[in-house]
Amino acid sequence: MTELRLEGVSKAYGDTVALEGVDLTVRDGEFFTLVGPSGCGKTTTLRTVAGFEEPTDGAVRFDSREMTGVPPEQRDVGVVFQSYALFPHMSVAENVGYGLQFREPPDGVTVDERVANLLELVDLEGMGERSPEQLSGGQRQRVALARALAPAPDLLLLDEPMSALDAQLRESLRRQVKRIQSTLEITTVYVTHDQAEALAISDRLAVMNDGGVEQVGRPQEVYREPATRFVAEFVGDNNVFEGEVCGGDGEYSRVDVDGETFTLPTVPEGTDRVTVCVRPGALSRSAERNRLTVRVETSEFLGETVRVNGRWNGTDIVLQRPTVPERDELTVGFAPEDAHVVARQ
Amino acid sequence: MRRRTFVGAVGGSAIAGVAGCLTRDGDGSEDDDGTGDPEPENPDLEGEVQVATYDSMVNGENPAGPWLKDAFEEAYPDAELTWTVPENGINDYIDRSQQNAEIDADVYLGANLDDLVRVDDNLEDGGLLRELNVDRIDNAERIRDGLDMGDPHGRVLAYDTGYVSPVYDEELVDEPETLDDLTEPAYEDALLAQNAQGSDTGQAFLLWTIDAYGEDGYLDYWRELEANGVRILEDWQESYNGAYMNGERSMVISYSTDQVFANEYDYEMSRHQVAFPDGQAYANPEGMGIFEGASELDLAYEFLDFALSNDAQAVIAQRNVQFPAVDEEYVDLDEEFDQYAHTPTEAVTIGYDRLRGNLDGWVDDWAREFAGR
Amino acid sequence: MLYVPVGVVFVNAVVDDGGATLAFVREVLTDPFYFGALADVFAEPLSVRHHLASVAGWLAAVSVSVSLEYPLPGVPLPVPVPGLETPGIRTGLFGFTAYQAALSTVASVALGLPAAYILANYEFRGRQTLRSLTILPFVLPGIMVAVGFYAMFGRTGTLNGLLGVGGVGPYPFIEWNPLAVVIVAHAFYNAPLVARVTVAAWESVDARTVETARSLGASPRRAFRDVIVPQLLPAILTGALLTFIFTFMTFPIVLALGGLQLATVEVWIYDRVRRLAYAEAATLTVLETLLSLALTYAYLRYESAQSGLARGAGEPDREPLFPDLRTALSPRRVAILGYGLVAVVVFVGPLASLVAGSVTDGSGLTGRHYAFLLERQLEGADYQTLPWVAIRNSLVFGVATLAVAVPMGVVVSVVTVRAGRGGAIVDTLAMLPLAVSGVVFGIGLLRGLVFGIPLPGGWRFQVTGAVAIVFAHAVAAYPFVTRNVSPLLSNLDPAMVESARALGATRYRALRDVELPLVASGIVAGAAFAFAISIGEFSSTVILAGGGQSYTMPVAVERYLGRRSGPAIAMGTVLLAVTAASFVVVDRVGGRFER
Repeated sequence: MTELRLEGVSKAYGDTVALEGVDLTVRDGEFFTLVGPSGCGKTTTLRTVAGFEEPTDGAVRFDSREMTGVPPEQRDVGVVFQSYALFPHMSVAENVGYGLQFREPPDGVTVDERVANLLELVDLEGMGERSPEQLSGGQRQRVALARALAPAPDLLLLDEPMSALDAQLRESLRRQVKRIQSTLEITTVYVTHDQAEALAISDRLAVMNDGGVEQVGRPQEVYREPATRFVAEFVGDNNVFEGEVCGGDGEYSRVDVDGETFTLPTVPEGTDRVTVCVRPGALSRSAERNRLTVRVETSEFLGETVRVNGRWNGTDIVLQRPTVPERDELTVGFAPEDAHVVARQ
Repeated sequence: MRRRTFVGAVGGSAIAGVAGCLTRDGDGSEDDDGTGDPEPENPDLEGEVQVATYDSMVNGENPAGPWLKDAFEEAYPDAELTWTVPENGINDYIDRSQQNAEIDADVYLGANLDDLVRVDDNLEDGGLLRELNVDRIDNAERIRDGLDMGDPHGRVLAYDTGYVSPVYDEELVDEPETLDDLTEPAYEDALLAQNAQGSDTGQAFLLWTIDAYGEDGYLDYWRELEANGVRILEDWQESYNGAYMNGERSMVISYSTDQVFANEYDYEMSRHQVAFPDGQAYANPEGMGIFEGASELDLAYEFLDFALSNDAQAVIAQRNVQFPAVDEEYVDLDEEFDQYAHTPTEAVTIGYDRLRGNLDGWVDDWAREFAGR
Repeated sequence: MLYVPVGVVFVNAVVDDGGATLAFVREVLTDPFYFGALADVFAEPLSVRHHLASVAGWLAAVSVSVSLEYPLPGVPLPVPVPGLETPGIRTGLFGFTAYQAALSTVASVALGLPAAYILANYEFRGRQTLRSLTILPFVLPGIMVAVGFYAMFGRTGTLNGLLGVGGVGPYPFIEWNPLAVVIVAHAFYNAPLVARVTVAAWESVDARTVETARSLGASPRRAFRDVIVPQLLPAILTGALLTFIFTFMTFPIVLALGGLQLATVEVWIYDRVRRLAYAEAATLTVLETLLSLALTYAYLRYESAQSGLARGAGEPDREPLFPDLRTALSPRRVAILGYGLVAVVVFVGPLASLVAGSVTDGSGLTGRHYAFLLERQLEGADYQTLPWVAIRNSLVFGVATLAVAVPMGVVVSVVTVRAGRGGAIVDTLAMLPLAVSGVVFGIGLLRGLVFGIPLPGGWRFQVTGAVAIVFAHAVAAYPFVTRNVSPLLSNLDPAMVESARALGATRYRALRDVELPLVASGIVAGAAFAFAISIGEFSSTVILAGGGQSYTMPVAVERYLGRRSGPAIAMGTVLLAVTAASFVVVDRVGGRFER
């Protein structure tokens, strides 16, 4: 199998810079996600890996092989697009078998057997003779997946594959993709703008913004310890405060936020300005420290919990409550250990 | 022997009508100034003489060309006559000459006076065709008086002539007595003419009006014609076979031999009356000449002589439907031809000297009167 | 093959006695004969005040009136006609040429769209065949169209004959308004082109988009306007653009039917060429070509702005045209019948009159025109034009043209379709063959390729004969392939090609396996045009064929024209029959690819 490395990859279209100095390593057999808002460069990164775009600077390597200048058909990658991109003039089986004209089916099976195996893998047994037009959206996406996997590529690249599907279908298909990926142990790069999906499916993920990588890590790491304010706000709900260090006692630091002093985990020596991130679930009525009185604006019933949006000292605050609050104001606090502090330059 | 050597061929010249080729101009020039052409002791009557002509001489119904070829080859057993039809007539050869491209043809059959004027306007005076040594063409003496083509360089001899005149439907209009009549209310929306820029009949009729009203007056006359509803179509084909034959109008500028066809094809004779306003018609003699660089000079001279022989004149007249160039005693025509081919009392032509340098301007001024308004 | 001959002539426009000059261009631009009122502006572009004063003076002299007119002769039915009295504005030759081209374009679109609507939406017997035959007018030599129109609309023509049975007429249709007749003749040529291009687009409209609009509350009419029209618009505009360019450069039709009063720029070019005044001819052509290309460029920018529309997969269902008597009397069906009647008069009439002309003579029915063809075939000498040779050449050249023009056109499409602004420029230049005067192209071929281009050392490069003809046809034809393919290609999801590439297909294989099958309808439509162009092409064929054996059917038609038109008309009828048969085959074979 294959390890994918991007080394200082930049891509510019005239004066517009799409990628700037992206360094990434996707390990052998890993399910790796590129997540970020639209225009962040994640799709360009994927297209550079696939060979649809050549980087203006830097290198893409599959294991030790330098891929610059190698056309897509010689890279041995499988690609699945959001739009399915099924060939409408071919049957399902012809679609799945298309790549097998150019690459031998693995394990010495025949083309027909390989196609049948893959249709079985994506739960579409017996659908081979149908036309793509006769299939539902989810079925089409699974055909696209089977087609990409049929030649047993070194890399599987998925570009927003679920975005056109409804929420429930998306979840079940996501599980199916994950199951197939871990069965095949194929190195996979998955592009999505949906951070929840990224957290749910990935072994590791890279949060991208503005043509660069903000943070790479396992989902828990990224969620719990966002490296930048951007990551903190993009991944999951978060309350983010800007403050200045005004003291400390070795165990805790004291940080001034809008005139209020928070007690927080110790920051490294020499740090004055920090960003403080507190997850909604960490703000509780019962916490004794770091109390703040929040003006309630709206509440959203989510089933298990209620999400409350409010404001404190000009900052937007998100709370997670068991019930819809009855009063206009709620006083909550958080334990220093539940806050994540990021130093700012 | 063709005076050029093929040294390379792109695409294999075995296939008929093939591809591109690189040729190299031969360096052995046989051009001996073209003057004089003294009668040779032993004329070379063997070889292939190439005659350039217009389309209707070889294609169309019952053309004269095939007969001329067969009869000529019979008379000169060692000779072969090949026809070639340049797409733009004499212009093709003027162009070729300007670009120093090869001219394969030996004889040009169908040069009108305005063709010669164009040659002299675009090439050097008296160019393209050689000055003929008329003494070598015995039959040249038979040519009728008044059919001298008037070329100051003596390059062509007439082989037939035609008269351009109005043809009308006698049930709709009377014969116009004069050209002026055509501007009268009786002929309102009656006349079909042709574009003098492109059509022989159109140009002939225009020249006729210039002869009648002068350089300064002809445009006024045409303005009156326009006020009276003259319609000027592109060509003889459109105006005659298109408009006139479908009853659009009651008069068309055509040829005085019109009834020969009407008789042959059983058309209603009342619609094929020939008019000679002022007793006139514009004469359009057709000439033949020999190219300056002709490679079969002797055969070319023999062909010119042959074209004026008794049988050839009769065939040309009848199949080409033109009047023979020779005096009556040297040609036997069908009685029907005599009956239906009409000649005017007076033939109008504008000579070489007046045409030279003026023709383009006359036609241009005339055309601008009508177009782009 | 294109640029050399055209260049050979264009050089004349800017070179005088070996030196470069703009004098010819200036002369033409400032001649009111060519540019009318604009010539004044070209002469002194900076005296704005003077020009504004002229415009103001013109506007001040405009008056509006209402008058009663009797549009139907002999019928006392007055119709109030609002008259806009404008003082004469001299449009010049270019102005008039553009004016008649614009009118012709409107007429062609107006006549072509209903045909496209019927062919795309209704099922009836012979629909496929009729669709194939829409190409027929396109291949007819101009002289045949003129003869056909006179035979149909002339005072003693077919239409008056039919009206005479009903006791009315005869009407001098052509004499009434020659310009109108010229425009109808242009529509006869070009409306089928508009119809064909539009039908191809209509058949690729996704029925689901209409259903979506209906479900969103749009009436059928709204759904048509909001969903179908925008998807058809690029095709309709393609048709309109081609029509405009063709009619802008129209030549045989205007003078054959309209007369010198309706002369166009091309007429003048032809005249200059005949008089060997190549500098002026070239100058006129350069201006003509620039105008056409500017228009083409504007259109292509529009077309590329339209790309990104998803191409539908589901073909709309066709309803039966006349399922039962009740439906047959509905207003829509009656309108269709009305259109059918117009179509019969405009399209079938001249063609049928032509065919009738091939079997009649001054004295009634005759077979002598065909006997002439047969006799010429059996007894003709090899320097004469033989019908079978012409038929064979036309078919062979047609097929060979397909083989060259289709790949050429597709490649140009592929190269230009995703290349943005630069692509539009390349695309425009690729349209050059359409925008160049046929007369000038022909003369360029003659002077450039037939006579040979002198090379150093006394060498001459010459090209003539069959291969040259095929290339000339292919050059004239490939823009049609490009124009039919490009819109479809630009609507394809780029992810399709990328998927194929990622699966291991080379760019070429992706093109062959994915793009080409998906734009097959465009390729087939373009191929049909390419074939038709080849069959109908006259001006360069006649020059390249020279005196050799490479003449085609239209050349034969021209050569058989003599004192009477019978033999030529018979050959024209053969041309029609052979073309019709070929097109039924082309469309049947092509239709298989479209599935």
